[in-house]
Amino acid sequence: MLDAKEKAMLQEKAKELREKLIQVTYNCGGSHLGGALSQMEILVALYYKYMNIDPKNPEMVDRDRFVLSKGHGGVGHATLLGDKGYFDPELLNEFNKTGSPFGMHLDKNKVPGVDASTGSLGHGLSIAVGMAMGARFKGEKWHTYCVLGDGECHEGSIWEAAMAGAHYKLTNLTVFVDRNWLSLDGNTEDVMKLEPFADKWTSFGWRVITIDGHDFDKIAEAIEAAKAETEKPVVVIAETVKGKGVSFMEGEIGWHYGGLDDQTRDKALEEVRKG
Amino acid sequence: MAKATGLTWTVADADSMSQAEIYGEVLTQLGGENEKIIAMSTDLAKSTKIGMFEKKYPERFINLGIAEANMIGVASGIAATGLIPVVSTFAVFASLRAAEFVRTDLCYQNRNVKIIATHSGTSFGQAGTTHHCTEDLAVMRSFANMVVIAPADSFETAHAVRAVMEHDGPCYIRIGRGFEPPVHKSLEFDYEIGKAIELVEGNDLTIIATGVPVLHAVEAANRAKDQGISVRVLDMHTVKPIDREAILNALLDTRRIITVEDHNIIGGLGSAVSEVIAESGKACAFRRIGFKDEYSIVGYPEDLLHRYGMDADGILDVIQEVMKAEFEEDEDWEDED
Amino acid sequence: MSEREQLRARLFLRSALPLIKVVAADRPNYRKLLYKANGIVQFAAKDSSYAAYVELKDGELDVVKGMHANPTISLTFKTAADLNTFFAGGVALPSIKGLAGIPLLLRVVPFLLKLKILLPTAIPSDPQEQELKVKLLLYMITHALSQMNKGGDEEFVKFVKKSPERVYQWTVENGGPAAFLRMKAGKTKAGRGTYKKRRPFVHMIFPNIPSAMKVLTQQVALIEAVRDGFVRTEGALEYGRDIGTQMQRMDALLNEGI
Repeated sequence: MLDAKEKAMLQEKAKELREKLIQVTYNCGGSHLGGALSQMEILVALYYKYMNIDPKNPEMVDRDRFVLSKGHGGVGHATLLGDKGYFDPELLNEFNKTGSPFGMHLDKNKVPGVDASTGSLGHGLSIAVGMAMGARFKGEKWHTYCVLGDGECHEGSIWEAAMAGAHYKLTNLTVFVDRNWLSLDGNTEDVMKLEPFADKWTSFGWRVITIDGHDFDKIAEAIEAAKAETEKPVVVIAETVKGKGVSFMEGEIGWHYGGLDDQTRDKALEEVRKG
Repeated sequence: MAKATGLTWTVADADSMSQAEIYGEVLTQLGGENEKIIAMSTDLAKSTKIGMFEKKYPERFINLGIAEANMIGVASGIAATGLIPVVSTFAVFASLRAAEFVRTDLCYQNRNVKIIATHSGTSFGQAGTTHHCTEDLAVMRSFANMVVIAPADSFETAHAVRAVMEHDGPCYIRIGRGFEPPVHKSLEFDYEIGKAIELVEGNDLTIIATGVPVLHAVEAANRAKDQGISVRVLDMHTVKPIDREAILNALLDTRRIITVEDHNIIGGLGSAVSEVIAESGKACAFRRIGFKDEYSIVGYPEDLLHRYGMDADGILDVIQEVMKAEFEEDEDWEDED
Repeated sequence: MSEREQLRARLFLRSALPLIKVVAADRPNYRKLLYKANGIVQFAAKDSSYAAYVELKDGELDVVKGMHANPTISLTFKTAADLNTFFAGGVALPSIKGLAGIPLLLRVVPFLLKLKILLPTAIPSDPQEQELKVKLLLYMITHALSQMNKGGDEEFVKFVKKSPERVYQWTVENGGPAAFLRMKAGKTKAGRGTYKKRRPFVHMIFPNIPSAMKVLTQQVALIEAVRDGFVRTEGALEYGRDIGTQMQRMDALLNEGI
């Protein structure tokens, strides 16, 4: 449960990071804005409230692990990590530039705080399953979090990993699906039907919690429920809006990836500042 | 070899795979020495012999079911926690089915995962092309950070399994089905990743072989000796990083090189050796023995080796062809006085 | 033994006689003897098709195989055996045609005498002479072996016939003389210096001239020579032995009756 102060802090942080994200996108010429905006509250809740991490010691042995399986959300993740103090946020001015540590998909060997290099969809859940198993082998108490895209769940390997997570009862693993209903070519249900999505996860042996993915109270409840779960791994299906916070981006597949000029940047900034 | 009569041996007769057991034994030993080792398979624990580890250390064994891509991703995650996953499945699945996972999750991220890929080449002959693997050396060699090893027999496999533990990063060990007669008599020989073993000395021609055909190369060299041809045999158990020095010495000493591999001649050992030769700028008679960009037929492994020229008979034919090619009438043979 | 004498004559005329060119090249005092000399000094035997002549053009010396149409002076032996005795340092008198050429012959004789340095009994102590001897020996050995093949020595022909391309190299280290014998499927070629296109199949390496002297003149047995570091062999050792056997056969042929 969040108290009012915490919730306000998280909301403020989300607002602030949306601004920074828009600025980074403006500077670098283009980014996966839509998904970075839809996943925002999930990442903010984890990094600013729940995860045991130390930005000054990114390799801390007993830290909680985080895998952004939907690796194209990297621009949002990097913006957050810069704000958290994993590295000098000024470095983000080089985003996408040749030789920069940052590109649209983050490299764990280049960006402090990134636990797995993702980008190719359908990999991150397997890796997260491995991290959770590793914790168990080592008798460590840390928790592994993984964020999937909904379109990513078209990949068969997600379901291979889902089977493994359930089979090994990985209660130290919590998965979020950023269910924004849009992939590159359109609505997920038109491109390749995912529904009944929650049933799929349930039948694969997972406990499913469906929430509003932009509501910090709901996110907090889901995380706390997941950490208290002792039988099954938990998947949180977070109903989100692609492009959340910028009216002309919301629900628009055109903003899966895009660049901003002075005018659109100013308009976007104005909207996210209003919240 | 008597047992290799049908499909059933992969599971039911697993106990008779004495050669493969040596590797299983070593891995199990290593498991005792190093608690970080986690063994993994995809419903092939028995066939791959990693099951021996499972018996001794069930708490450190994971079966991922028939899902190779996921196994590699999981291995990457486990390695991320500081443990050392050793995964074993058939070569065709490890290298092709799971290729992008190996590349992105292991090699790109430089994860300390060891892949022991069994039933490589055409060693699982009766199973047909879906279960043969004549592309893995090419695929694995092209992944940065990956070390690629093809032991000649299970003694070498045992050495290799031990040696890769000393290397921090992804390694691919490609072995046969476990019935292959041994090249070595025991474990008593020096083994180093990236260093070819000269099994036969010779100065007319060099055969560079990897994996199962090494034994046949030795046999061919012995037969060639009876014909007055002095053949060197290099057991190139590490295909990457390749032993450039051994190749360049062979090039300068013998100026005739034949490669032999249970693999497509494109992309594997033959390609690796030819790259070194071409970059040296020195001319050399050169042949590659292997699958000539074709899929193998179904058959017993020994028959397939023969059919595709990878046994002693086939190698000897190429030796003679290379030596004969020089019997030309094109040069100045006037003595200098 | 006629065939054998014919082969021997071939070796003397084609392998040994041309070595006077090396003497001329390496010894300025010998070259002086030929100052402005012109003419042809021919060596032949009545029962042999092998012949050779020394050609002098303004003091420049060459040795050519075959008969010259119009030699200045011609030394014709009755038999190849006699010619061989002459070249091996024994006494055999030829019939001489072209008495006017005798002064020319006398200018060439010191060169022929210098070739005696090749005899096993000649052990020079002067370092320069030692070097000349080793050089001439290496050139002689490789050339004569090749000529044994080309002249039809049955055993050596067999040895060469089944040989793929192989190079037998002899080298005195640190820039000393070197020579090689290359063979391939029945063909042979003697060459001087180091063969560069492929590493030798067998490489006999002498650390210095005195060591080479000891080994090549058989002052020390091969086993001791190896033990004491007078020679080392790189490459195919068994074939090193084999070529050694052939060298001894050649040696026996050349030194017969001496």
